[in-house]
Amino acid sequence: MSLLRVEEITKEYDGLRALDHFSLNVEKGIIKGLIGPNGAGKSTLFHLISGIEKPDSGKIYFKDKEITALESHEISALGIGRTFQTVQTLSNMTVIENIMAGMHLRLKGNLLSSGLWLPWTARAEKGALKEAKEILDLLGLLGRWKSPASQLPLGKQKLLELGRALAMKPELILLDEPASGLTSAESDQLKERIQQFKRDGMTFCIVEHQMGMVMEIADQVAVLDNGRLIAEGPPNIVERDAQVMDAYLKRKRSDA
Amino acid sequence: MVDSDRKEFRIRDFLYVVPLWLLSLIVPDADDLYSYRGKEFKRRELFYLGALLFVPLIWRDPHFHHLMVLAGIYAILALGLSLFLGYAGQISLGHAAFFGIGAYTTAILTTRYSFAPFLAFWISPFVAALAAYLIGRPILKLKGYFLAIATLGFGEIFQVIVRESTVLTGGVIGIFDIPFLSIGGFSFDTYLKQYYLTWGVLLGLFLYSKNLVRSKMGRAFLAVAASEEAASTIGIKVARTKLGVFVIGAAFAGFAGSLFSSIMSIANPEAFSLNLSILIVIMVILGGMGNLYGPIFVSVLLTWLIDILGKYQVWSLPIYGIILILLLIFFPDGIGTRLGTRLIYLISYWSKKKRRNEGKV
Repeated sequence: MSLLRVEEITKEYDGLRALDHFSLNVEKGIIKGLIGPNGAGKSTLFHLISGIEKPDSGKIYFKDKEITALESHEISALGIGRTFQTVQTLSNMTVIENIMAGMHLRLKGNLLSSGLWLPWTARAEKGALKEAKEILDLLGLLGRWKSPASQLPLGKQKLLELGRALAMKPELILLDEPASGLTSAESDQLKERIQQFKRDGMTFCIVEHQMGMVMEIADQVAVLDNGRLIAEGPPNIVERDAQVMDAYLKRKRSDA
Repeated sequence: MVDSDRKEFRIRDFLYVVPLWLLSLIVPDADDLYSYRGKEFKRRELFYLGALLFVPLIWRDPHFHHLMVLAGIYAILALGLSLFLGYAGQISLGHAAFFGIGAYTTAILTTRYSFAPFLAFWISPFVAALAAYLIGRPILKLKGYFLAIATLGFGEIFQVIVRESTVLTGGVIGIFDIPFLSIGGFSFDTYLKQYYLTWGVLLGLFLYSKNLVRSKMGRAFLAVAASEEAASTIGIKVARTKLGVFVIGAAFAGFAGSLFSSIMSIANPEAFSLNLSILIVIMVILGGMGNLYGPIFVSVLLTWLIDILGKYQVWSLPIYGIILILLLIFFPDGIGTRLGTRLIYLISYWSKKKRRNEGKV
């Protein structure tokens, strides 16, 4: 069953076409890798899916419900979590509060009941604290739960951002270059975690600039170049595709 | 070696060890701001509470009581703006208008329509909150400087309305003889009673704010300040969160305004001008962003400072300005955030330097 369906979307920035009649299907319970050179439109795609930007044309469906015109917070309420390419931890909060912020939609409380600390709010907050600690334990960040999020090294901040998305208990998580800036040990740890959450039934969509990590853990890979889909399929087959190698290697040669 | 180490410690070291220990009881921890916003009341809070309760009983100077009443009213204003500016990261230069709305609501209801002062006291914050809701809906879409200018404009419009609608507000002259707040025959007619009233209201609002900032709402405020994009992708309704915190801040100002007009017995437009709005912003910034204690501390400090400087007449404003600049230089992220570390650093630096100089001689 297809969880996310992107149909023929186009997005232009000042005449520059970031996505050009692009279509994509993400089935439930898989890890979908999206690769492509710089400027291929990968991050734009994520911005459009998560509602931060709106496409010029085309439609996006999530669980067969059209989400193209919805606000960003409505889309996340439907069950899409995401991380950002340039890490966006909530730097004015502690590590644990970052995770608890991810539970926003699942917690009871409003300006009155939270301020008066009514019993059900108190119970919800207590439960949230416990759950957040479990998530941090899973990510190996529990030791620093009280420190400011901005004091974590970049790799840990990426993990924290993933944790914040996980805390929403979404059905689909969009990861924008999760492994960039990570040490190889950290990126191994990240791979392990992603595969573990996939076994728990979560669906992932991972954008990567380098082919390494995606090729290892993705079930399906889509390759973008100049806003178009140029290849799609299991990683071992895509890797052999001439057009893909062309898109990558040509650039590498011209870079060198 | 051991021997010389022992010699290092002198009786006079108590001079700074003891104050340091006392300071650690009084001054907030340096990392309090970032430590998990828990609910546990520490010794320090009990100390503050005790001081608030007993100091005015010991120091029975009416002028002191009156100053503390004023400081308490400013502190309520600063606390409300602290949620909006310090937590949600939005600027407002029109906060005094909500203070004015609260004050005029109480003034008009009690003098023109002979409402019971106690009833008017509860209606005022709701009127201020309603005004904030109506104003906030359109203008909170603006960001940064634009929001500052829009709120500034709102403050000025409020001034004009108050000055021109003479029948209702008494124009520039204002409204006189506003009755004291009274509950069932108990009237708050002395400075001491007003002190306990003001600080009691402040304590209630402080506890409300403290609960709010450690709940999901507080995290939503902070998330909006940190990154609106990230906040919206975890399901936080950015526009509604901003509006909510704006309304709460205005309701706080409504309480403060009601207290102000019933305690001063007068409401005139001068009291709710841009000067006050800026003073409140200074209190929050000097108190520290994302900090509830700081703005209260600074509002007491500045009220005193303004009172003391009043003696120097023409020189009072320049001196006031210089002190503000110095405070901002030495506490760039607010007194409430840095006071602990700064003082401890200064004291230990001072004692070490002294010892070093003695060593040279």
